[in-house]
Amino acid sequence: MQSEKHIASAFDRDLEAIQAMIMKMGGLVEAAILDAAQALESRDEELAERVRAADKAVDALEDQINTEAARLIALRSPTAGDLRTALTVMKIAASLERCGDYAKNLAKRSTVLAHMSPIGDTAGGIRRMAKAVELLLKDALDAYIHRDVELAEDVRRRDREVDQMYNSLFRVFLTHMLEDPRNITACMHLHFIAKNIERMGDHATGIAEQVIYLVNGAMPEDPRVKGDITSVTLLDGSQ
Amino acid sequence: MNDMRIAERVVDSMESKITARGVQVFYGQNHALKDVDVDILDKTVTAFIGPSGCGKSTFLRCLNRMNDTIDGCVVKGSIKIDSEDIYDPKVDPVQLRAKVGMVFQKPNPFPKSIYDNVAYGPKIHGLTRNKAELDEVVETSLRRAALWNEAKDRLKSPGTGLSGGQQQRLCIARAIATSPEVLLMDEPCSALDPIATAQIEELIDELRSQFSVVIVTHSMQQAARVSQRTAFFHLGYLVEFGETGQIFTNPKDPRTESYITGRIG
Repeated sequence: MQSEKHIASAFDRDLEAIQAMIMKMGGLVEAAILDAAQALESRDEELAERVRAADKAVDALEDQINTEAARLIALRSPTAGDLRTALTVMKIAASLERCGDYAKNLAKRSTVLAHMSPIGDTAGGIRRMAKAVELLLKDALDAYIHRDVELAEDVRRRDREVDQMYNSLFRVFLTHMLEDPRNITACMHLHFIAKNIERMGDHATGIAEQVIYLVNGAMPEDPRVKGDITSVTLLDGSQ
Repeated sequence: MNDMRIAERVVDSMESKITARGVQVFYGQNHALKDVDVDILDKTVTAFIGPSGCGKSTFLRCLNRMNDTIDGCVVKGSIKIDSEDIYDPKVDPVQLRAKVGMVFQKPNPFPKSIYDNVAYGPKIHGLTRNKAELDEVVETSLRRAALWNEAKDRLKSPGTGLSGGQQQRLCIARAIATSPEVLLMDEPCSALDPIATAQIEELIDELRSQFSVVIVTHSMQQAARVSQRTAFFHLGYLVEFGETGQIFTNPKDPRTESYITGRIG
C-alpha cells in the first residue's frame, strides 16, 4: 500500500476498508478449502454441512466489495494506483467467490462420497492438494496486501506443482475405473473435486497476476507455464 | 499481449507545433520555471496540470509573450512556434498574439456589442476587406464557438449581458476570430457551472481539428476528459509529460502519482 496519505483522509479509509474485506473474504475461503478437504478425508458430514452453509458469507462479501468499489469509483474518481486498487479488488473478489463455490461443491460431493467405499488413499491426496492450493491462495493474498511482486511471481511458478498433483491423481482415478467399473461413481466425484481444486490454483495465479498489475501498471508479459496435461492424456494414461 | 491494449487516444497529427527548450522564467529573484523542455503537437489538446504556483500558467503565458507585460519578468531558453523563435527581437508581440490566441479564467468580454467583441480582432489586424467579409468572420467564429444560435438575434446587444458560460464562449469566439494557430486557455471553466463547462469542453474537442489547444486546468478530471497529452508541473519543473491515458492510469514519476491521486497539494 502507498505509504503517503491522501489529503482526503476518508479516501484512505474507503480504500483500506475495501482491502480489509478482501482479506476477510480470503480468510473465509481458505478455511472453507481446508475444512472441505478435511471433511472428505475424515468423512465428517457435519463439517461438510458447515462449509456449505458458510459459503453464503463469502457471496455476501463479494457483493459488498463490488458495491464499495463502484461507490469509490463514482465518488472519488480514483486514478493511477488508486484506480488499479479499485479494479483489482473486484477481480480478486470474483476469483475468491469462485474458489468458495468450488469448496462448497467439494463439501457437497464429500457427503455423497461418505457413503461409498474409499478409493485407495486418493482422499488423502486430495487433502494434500487442497493444502497446497490454500497456501498458494494465502501467499497470493499476502502478496496483494504487501504489494509484493516477487511473492506473486512465486505463486505463479508454484501453481505448476498443483497441476502435477492433479495429473497424478487423474491417472490414479483412470486406473481405478479401468480395474473395476463399480469405482466409476466415486472416481467421477473425486475427479471433479481434484479438477476444481486445480482450478482454485489457477484463481490463485490470477490473483497473483492482479498483484503484478496493481504494482507495475501492466499484466506480466511472459506466458505462464501450464502444468495440467490431462486435456491431452489418453485412456491408458499415456500422452 | 501488446496489441490487445487499448490504443492511445488518437491524435490527428504527430507534428510538433511548439518546441520549447531550456525555458527558465524569473520574476525578480523568484525562479518560477526551471529548464522546461516540451514539444506540443499540432491539432492536439495539451493539458497542463499541477498545484498552484507550480509554473503551469507562467509557462502558458510564455507561449504568447504575455509575461512581457510583467515588470521584472525574465524569460530564458528558446520557444519556437513552427520553428520560428517567438522571442526573436524581430517578432511583434501583437502579431504573435493574433496567431496565439488566449482565453482567460474569468470571461472578460469588452463592454461592447456581441458583434463588436468578435469583430475587434479581425478589424485591428486588418484581416477583412469589407463589411460583408467581417460579417462572415463574426458568424463563423460564433458558430465555431457554439454561440451563434443563442446570439444571432442579439448581435447588437452588449456582450456583458450574456450568461457566464455564454460570455466565455464569446471570448473563445473572439480569440478564434483572428484565425489563430494556437489557442491558450487558462482555466477557462473554473468560473462556470457544470453545463457550461461541458459545452466548453465539447467545443475544445471540436477546436482541436483546427488548432493546437493548450489548456491549464485545476480540474484533473477535466484534463483527463479533454486532452490527448498531459504535462504535470511541480515546483517550477516539468515533472512528466505524456499521453493523457498513461498519465492518469500509470504515471512513471512518483510525484505525478502523488498529485493525481490526491496525496500532495
